[in-house]
Amino acid sequence: VAAALSVGALTVLLKTVSSHVNAATVSLALLLNVLFIATRWGSLPALAASILAMLCFNFFFLPPFGTFEIAATDNWIALLAFLITAVTAGQLSASAKRRAEEAESGRREIERLYAELRDAFERASHAEALRQSEKLKSALLDAVTHDLRTPLTSIKASITTLLDEVRGRVDSEPRVALDADLKVEMMEVIDEESDRLSRFINGLIELARIEAGELQLRRRLGAVDEIISAALSRAEPITRNHRVELEIEKELPGVRVDERAVSEVVYTLVDNAAKYSPKGSTIRIIARRSGNELMEMGVEDEGPGIAFDLRERVFDKFFRATRDGDVRSREPTGTGMGLAIAKGIVEAHDGKIWIESGRNGKGTRVLFTLPIGDDEVIDESRYTAATVEIQ
Amino acid sequence: MTDQARILVVDDEPQLTRVLRTGLKSRGYDVRAAADGLAGFEAFNDWHPDLVITDLAMPNVDGLELCRRLRAISQVPIIVLSAKGEEKTKVEALDLGADDYVTKPFGIDELLARVRASLRRASAPATNEATETTLDSGDFHVDLETREITVHDKSIHLTPKEFDLLVYFIKHSGKVLTHRTLLAALWGGNYVEQNEYLRVFVGNLRKKIEPDASSPRYILTEPWIGYRFDPGEH
Repeated sequence: VAAALSVGALTVLLKTVSSHVNAATVSLALLLNVLFIATRWGSLPALAASILAMLCFNFFFLPPFGTFEIAATDNWIALLAFLITAVTAGQLSASAKRRAEEAESGRREIERLYAELRDAFERASHAEALRQSEKLKSALLDAVTHDLRTPLTSIKASITTLLDEVRGRVDSEPRVALDADLKVEMMEVIDEESDRLSRFINGLIELARIEAGELQLRRRLGAVDEIISAALSRAEPITRNHRVELEIEKELPGVRVDERAVSEVVYTLVDNAAKYSPKGSTIRIIARRSGNELMEMGVEDEGPGIAFDLRERVFDKFFRATRDGDVRSREPTGTGMGLAIAKGIVEAHDGKIWIESGRNGKGTRVLFTLPIGDDEVIDESRYTAATVEIQ
Repeated sequence: MTDQARILVVDDEPQLTRVLRTGLKSRGYDVRAAADGLAGFEAFNDWHPDLVITDLAMPNVDGLELCRRLRAISQVPIIVLSAKGEEKTKVEALDLGADDYVTKPFGIDELLARVRASLRRASAPATNEATETTLDSGDFHVDLETREITVHDKSIHLTPKEFDLLVYFIKHSGKVLTHRTLLAALWGGNYVEQNEYLRVFVGNLRKKIEPDASSPRYILTEPWIGYRFDPGEH
């Protein structure tokens, strides 16, 4: 309809000015219109427009005017040529338009598919990451529940043993016979295992703080020997059966650290050294310069040492190097968090912590670095209560 | 008990072995402890205990492997200490021949009850299957030749498969029987995954022998694991 209207309108326009234009101009104008229709609406309207334009051309512009008669033979040819040109041009341009449209929609389809693929891929890798993290979470949960349940099991078994005796169950067979020593032993177990639970829970809180990036460091210029002596006096009860040697370099500069936190690290390392090395062996505390900007501190023992492939993993939380499993040992084992916390503290000071073999390739040496304090006055506001992000 | 029964405790947790040793000794048992499966196996060969209590998760040789090795050489009763979340390992241990389990944390009474039951079962005179024609256990009396069963002196009519299942239960009174064990014993190895088979038969059996099938007292369900048969006190 629009095609017919446009042809009609153009014809009327051309008729009003027909005194000023010749037949060739008219035919070109009508051809242009057909082309326009073809690109706009496609091949069928273009075909209709071609025929309509031919009829109009014949009726209005070829003599004799006002009829479909044609006087001159060459005008017949002109009319025929017009029709063929109009139809061909119309179809060609319509098909060009169709091709362009097809190409465009193809391009869009590819884009859509690409976007879909990318989304799917992202979703998949997100799901994978989530799965991994869930797996890790459940492994950690297993470790935590195991560490909570183990002392609880000993406590429950001890307390029910004591309860039975106190209640003096007459129906129990064989009869309960707990002498004073055994009673004390049961209560010792309860006492020690309660402490173990408490240590474990404190460790969990500390770790959670480090992981949340909420470790509050009060950094100021401190003296290495003070930090070490604070740790050692705290560790005195656990190092009674070991020899403790200090290897502290003379005239060490101060360190820009949170003294309590670093003292905690030293304490953890001494505690581990005492726990995993034989009685009577030597524990060495090391402090020395390492270049101009770093202080190197560490603890060395004469225990069985840690295998190469475990030297990274012992810093993972809840990881424990296989215990030697001596039943006669009454020493409750560690929480599996000490080294993870130590690592968190050291890294919060921009330091590093690692494990080497001890003297002559025997035993374990744990070393860590700390920044040496500048001679210039430390900007307290910058380092006080700094919130440190830990990865 | 005339002689002190000997109990071997295998656990890598020193505090727990310490408590169990004291708790069991106070009841008149002779106790030894080992820190892992390997030490446990050696102690077994060395000492020949009457009962083994073992943890499942241990370094070196774990509880499962210990069950496997012990069953290869002995029918000693084995009680497994397990934790919630270790159901799969627990079932595996029972399939491997462990007799019972206790879930951590446990009261000493619970463990002692299992110890007594296991020792009693083990010391019960072995019935000569070939010549024995009747079976008496708690409220149950079974004539194996006429295939007649009475519960509380009341005659019960059972299908052949139900009869076999009940006899199996009676013969293994008090012991935890996994789905797998029961299926293999009654239907053969091809059916060990067909838990629903078992559920149907146990359901029917309960309707016939239990005073109240909705709260059974003879065929007790061990959730996710299997069943335990209690013949009742006679």
